[in-house]
Amino acid sequence: MVNLFRAEWTKIAGHRWLTSCLIWIFPVGAVGFTVAMSAILLLSESARTSFGADTVTWTETLVGAWSFLNNPLGRLLLIGFTAVMFAGEYQWQTWKNLIPRNRRVALILNKFLALSVFVIFAFALMSVLLTVGMGLLRAIAGASYGPEITGEVLRTTAADYARSAGLGFLSTLIAAGYAALAGMFSRSILGGVLVAYGLTIAENLSLVALLLIAIFLDFRTIVHLYRFLPGYNLQNLDSWFRIGEPAPLEIAFSGTDRLVVRDSAEFSALVIAAWVVGLIGLTVYLFRRQDITS
Amino acid sequence: MTASVPSIHTENLTKHFGRGKKRIEAVKSVDLTVESGQVYGFLGPNGAGKTTTIRMLLRLLHPTTGRAYIYGQDVARHPEVLRRVGAIVEGATFYNFLTARRNLEVFARTADQYDPARIDSLLAQVGLAERKHQRVKGYSTGMKQRLGLAAALLGDPDLLILDEPTNGLDPSGMHEIREFIRRLATEQGKTIFLSSHLLSEVEQICDRVAIIQRGQIVREGVVSELLEAKTALRVEARPLEAAAAALSAHWSVTTNSTWLSVQATREEIPAIVRRLVESNIDIYQVTSQRQTLEEYFLSVVGEEAPHG
Repeated sequence: MVNLFRAEWTKIAGHRWLTSCLIWIFPVGAVGFTVAMSAILLLSESARTSFGADTVTWTETLVGAWSFLNNPLGRLLLIGFTAVMFAGEYQWQTWKNLIPRNRRVALILNKFLALSVFVIFAFALMSVLLTVGMGLLRAIAGASYGPEITGEVLRTTAADYARSAGLGFLSTLIAAGYAALAGMFSRSILGGVLVAYGLTIAENLSLVALLLIAIFLDFRTIVHLYRFLPGYNLQNLDSWFRIGEPAPLEIAFSGTDRLVVRDSAEFSALVIAAWVVGLIGLTVYLFRRQDITS
Repeated sequence: MTASVPSIHTENLTKHFGRGKKRIEAVKSVDLTVESGQVYGFLGPNGAGKTTTIRMLLRLLHPTTGRAYIYGQDVARHPEVLRRVGAIVEGATFYNFLTARRNLEVFARTADQYDPARIDSLLAQVGLAERKHQRVKGYSTGMKQRLGLAAALLGDPDLLILDEPTNGLDPSGMHEIREFIRRLATEQGKTIFLSSHLLSEVEQICDRVAIIQRGQIVREGVVSELLEAKTALRVEARPLEAAAAALSAHWSVTTNSTWLSVQATREEIPAIVRRLVESNIDIYQVTSQRQTLEEYFLSVVGEEAPHG
């Protein structure tokens, strides 16, 4: 298993254009941001004053870095990265070299594992570099960069970091699942990117679409379908982890006619698990049955 | 002493693509047996089903019906048996953005057979040691073929399935690879299943051949026996038309400008000579013409071609 993982890592890390543009751009971007901001702060008194006036803490910076995973551009880059990892083998005509050497299930699961490690490594590195970089910028601006490190602060931050990283990663894994499935089905990198990004956008627009159907067809139950989509459940889990309460789905149809749904953390965890396992399982199933003709 | 298990055995191996009116029967009920230690040629015109058969042997394609066995194990149920196989399918393809050495590392690690010393040794054997740190993107087709051969040999396989291994090589490169393949069979006892368009190459190195056309095996056997069965005699005699008339009652005769080609074996020469003498025909020369594999292949493919 270690050799199989190292094979995938060697292959993807060796594709310098791919990794530079789609994955290392996150930590490198953090360094670039620090360097650019340092130059601006060193050259401009007003920039230093303005920057110093903001209340930024190292804990917010460290935890907030993971929100880039849900940023539309960040999401597009990661979908592209996933599509190349999965559909690239068709375009490079290299599946024929790999399939006789190992089981198809192992080859696909290994790709998901390598993808996860790449994403976690890149974002963990970015969060650290951004936190350190921000500290440097705060020092140049002569501003404080709290809070003071205590056992309690470290415990709280570690919990926040795990929540933010975990939910961000799950959200990425689901988008990556779309990209993997679409890429393998279409056997094309572009096909994978377009379908996966389309599905991500469609998910964001799904509540509006469901509401329109509910109103025009007078079929309000259909709105409950939204409860089974990943976005809502990730938000609900986030709320449970942060404040111990659900993020309710509230829809006002008219006046007092309202739909309010509150789901438990267990429900959302189950739905997210079903999405992750379902997408990975479908990709494996498709690949096991697929004829490799190129 | 136990009977050796064939390296390759297929039973009723069949593959259809598409459905309904668009259905193509790429391979139809192919039964093949390749004994261990043989160099086996797999011939056929383009689109005959060679690569589809090879892809089914390697589990790249799922057979519509039938089974493929490697060393007695059904590849669909025991894909791990493919670790005893090295292959080049439809030309060698690689990760062009990686170096030759990195490519081999990826393939070896995928099979959980990573041995850096073996990789370097194989690169040296195929003449790529000097350029192993160069990206494959800059390689010629011939260099990629050599690298493909090295990749196929990574796990020290017992069986090599080579689909057009000398494509893109110059004559000296072809000779070198042909000798290399021959040595793998004679010195290391490897079984070679070779698909190639270069029939002179196949004739030189293969013990047995199968000819596939329109998805079906149309001839199979030991190369020398197949060619022997199709021996022709070159008969120079005058007058040529009278000689053709005298012989055509018993043998298949083709008239060329100054000689006749008679479909007969060497043992029939005395009877042919007697017949010509009895017909008062002057004989200048009768020689046995052994068909080349290329001539044999063309005659078989011609016979099997659809008429009308």
